Amino acid sequence: MAAPDLLDPKSAAHNSKPRLSFSVSPVLLNTPEDECDTRTTVMRWKTVSAIFFLVVLYLIIGATVFRALEQPHESSQKLAILAEKLDFLAMHSCVNSSELEDLVKQVVSAVRAGVNPSGNSTNHMSLWDISSSFFFAGTVITTIGFGNISPHTEGGRIFCIIYALLGIPLFGFLLAGVGDQLGTIFGKGIAKVEKMIVKWKVSQTKIRVISTLIFILFGCLIFVALPVIIFKHIEGWSTLESIYFVVITLTTIGFGDFVAGEKGGSESPEFLNYYKPVVWFWILVGLAYFAAVLSMIGDWFRVISKKTKEEVGEFRAHAAEWTANVSAEFKETRRRLSVDIYDKFQRAASIKRKLSSELGINQELTPGKRALSVNLYEDRENYPNSTLSLSPITGTLARNGSFYLNGLSPDYADRREIAIIENLK
Amino acid sequence: MHSLGRSWLLLTGFILFYVIYLLFGALMFSSIERPVEDKLRQEMEVLKQEFLNQSCVNSTSLERFLVKVLTANKYGVSVLANNSATSNWDLTSSMFFANTLVTTVGYGQTTPLSDTGKAFSILYALIGVPFTMLVLTACVQRIMCPLVLSPVSLLQRSGMEPRPATFLHFLLLLLLVVLCFFVVPAAVFSSVELSWSFLDGIYFCFISLCTIGLGDFVPGTQPGQKYRQLYQVTVMVYLFLGLMMMYLLLRTFHKMADLHGLTTFLQLPRCDESDLEDDREPIIEGKPEDQAPPYQTEKEANKHLKPGSHPVYNTINSG
Repeated sequence: MAAPDLLDPKSAAHNSKPRLSFSVSPVLLNTPEDECDTRTTVMRWKTVSAIFFLVVLYLIIGATVFRALEQPHESSQKLAILAEKLDFLAMHSCVNSSELEDLVKQVVSAVRAGVNPSGNSTNHMSLWDISSSFFFAGTVITTIGFGNISPHTEGGRIFCIIYALLGIPLFGFLLAGVGDQLGTIFGKGIAKVEKMIVKWKVSQTKIRVISTLIFILFGCLIFVALPVIIFKHIEGWSTLESIYFVVITLTTIGFGDFVAGEKGGSESPEFLNYYKPVVWFWILVGLAYFAAVLSMIGDWFRVISKKTKEEVGEFRAHAAEWTANVSAEFKETRRRLSVDIYDKFQRAASIKRKLSSELGINQELTPGKRALSVNLYEDRENYPNSTLSLSPITGTLARNGSFYLNGLSPDYADRREIAIIENLK
Repeated sequence: MHSLGRSWLLLTGFILFYVIYLLFGALMFSSIERPVEDKLRQEMEVLKQEFLNQSCVNSTSLERFLVKVLTANKYGVSVLANNSATSNWDLTSSMFFANTLVTTVGYGQTTPLSDTGKAFSILYALIGVPFTMLVLTACVQRIMCPLVLSPVSLLQRSGMEPRPATFLHFLLLLLLVVLCFFVVPAAVFSSVELSWSFLDGIYFCFISLCTIGLGDFVPGTQPGQKYRQLYQVTVMVYLFLGLMMMYLLLRTFHKMADLHGLTTFLQLPRCDESDLEDDREPIIEGKPEDQAPPYQTEKEANKHLKPGSHPVYNTINSG
C-alpha cells in the first residue's frame, strides 16, 4: 500500500481508512511452497522440535517414575539372593565361594543360551523343536522379539538377519490385508448399528463418538479381555500379569519376561501343539487391532496439537490484527495532525507575508506562534476528536524559529508518511 | 466385484505364503540351533555332576539354590560378586528402559519387577508408543525433502527418467544407511564391548533397528563399564536416529514402489494417501474420513483401513 502523498494534504484527507502496511495472515501449519512440497503438507521445524522435546521430557518422566518404583524392589531382591548364597555356603561348608561363583556363572550363561539346568534331564523339551522354532520365527517377523529364545550360533544369527529382512515386509503386507478385512467386517456391523441410532435423531458427532467407543470396547473384549482370561487360566499368571503380557506383546515391545506357552513340561504335547498356533493367530489379529487403536491415539494427538496450534494461530492472528489496527489508527491520527500543522503553517506563512507586506519588515513578530495559536484555536472546533497536545508543538516553535517536524519516530521516516520540514524565520 | 474377489485372493495368498515362510524359518532354525543346544545341555549335566561329586551338597538343595538364582537373574539381579555395585534402575538405565519401551524395541534384559511397575508400563506404553511414532514420522517428513526429493529432482534434471532416478537414489540411500548405521556402529560396539565380535555388533544393530529387540545383546550392561551413563545415552540417540533412517528408507521404497506401480498391483495403500494431511478436520467430524473407507466396502476396494495405511510400527505400510 503506497503511502499517501503527504505533501498534498488534500488528497490525503480523502483516504481516511486505517492503513495496514503489512499483511496479516494466521499462522499456517504449512510451510510456504518449497520446491519439494508438492502434495504433502509438512510440519514446520519448530513444531517438530517442540514435539521432540516433549518426547524427551516424557522419557525423563518415565525414567524417574520407573526408578522410584523399581529400585527398592531391586535392592530387596539383591539382598534376598545374597542372603541365599551366604546361607548355602554356610550350610555346605565344603563348597567354597569361588567354586560356587563359577558354577553360577556357567549356569547363567547356559540359561541365556536357553538351556535350563535345573530339573532332571529327562523330561526336557527342547527349545528348538518345530513348534517353538515356528513361534520364534513368528516373533522375529512381527518384530515383537521376546528373546526368551534367541539364536546363539553364528550361522543362526546370520540367517536370522536375512530372514527378518525378507519377513518383516511380508508380515507388513499381511497386516495391511488383515486389518482391512477386519475393518470391513466391523464396519458392516457398525453401519447397521448406526442406521438404528439415526432413527433416534442423534447428531452426527455423537454417532461417530459412539461408533469409536464401540470399536474400542468390542475390540478390547475380543482381543484383550478374552485372552487375559485364557492366559490366566492356562499359564497361571495373575490378572495384572496377563494384561501386562497382552499389552506388551500386541504393541510389539515384547520383553520376554512372560511368554505364552513357555511352560513346556507340564502340559500334554498335543495340547501345546494346538495352543501355540492359536496364540500366534491371536497375535496376528490382535496386532491389526492394536495398530488401529494406536494410530487412533496418534491421530488424537495430532488433532489436539493441530487444534491448539489453530487456536494459538487464531489468537495470534487476532492479536496481530488488533495491533495493526491500533497502530494504523495511531499513524492516521499523527498523519492528520501533521497535515493540519502543515496546513496551518502554510496559512501562517501566508498571513505573515500579508502582514509583513502591510506593516513592514521591521516588526518582529513571532508570527508562527501567534498565527498558529489563532489557527489552532479555530481548528480545535473543526477537529474536536483529535487529541492534539498543542503545548509541545508551540513550545517547539517558540524555542527555535525553525522547526523540524518529522514523522515523530525514526522508524517511520523511511515510510515517507510524515515528513514535513519547514523553515520559518 | 472383480476387485473384491481379487483382494480376498491376495489376502489368502499372503497368509499362505506367510505360513510357508514361517515353517521354512522354523525348520532352518531348528536344524541350526538344536545340535548346539544339546551339546550345551550335556555340558551342564557334566558340570553339575562334578560339582556334586566333589562337595557335600546334595542334589535337592543345589536345585533349590539354582532355581532361586535363575529367577533373580531373569529380572537382572545377579548373585555374582562383581555385579553388586551397579543398579539396573538408576536414572540413565531407567531412561534407557523407557526408551526401549516407547520405541517398541523391548530388549527385556531388565523388566519391571513390582506390580505397580507393570501397571505403569502398560499405561506408559499405550501413550508413549503412538507419540513416538508421531515424532518419528514428523521428523522423517522433514528430512524427506533434503534427502530424497531434492536429490531425485536433481537426478531428473540431469536427464534421467523418473523411474531409474528413484531406483538409483534408493540404492544410494540404502548404501549410505548401511554404512553409517550398521557397519560403523558395529565396529564401535565390537571394540567397546569386550565379548562382542563384529558379527555380533551387526546382529545387534539389525535386531535393534528393526525393533525386534531380542535382548541377548544389550550394550552397556557389562559390569565395570566405563562412562556407563554417557554410553547408554549415546546408544539411545543412535537408536532414535537409526529408527528414523529406517523409516525414511521404508518411505522412499514405498514411493518408489508407487512409481513403479507395485502398490496398486498388490492393492496396498498408496503413498499419497498420506495420513499426515494436516488439513483434516477435527477428530469428531473427521471420523468419517477415518472410518468411512472400511465402511464403504465394495466400493473402495483400494482404500485400506488405518492399520494398513499408517506408519505405526509395522513397516511397509507407512503411507
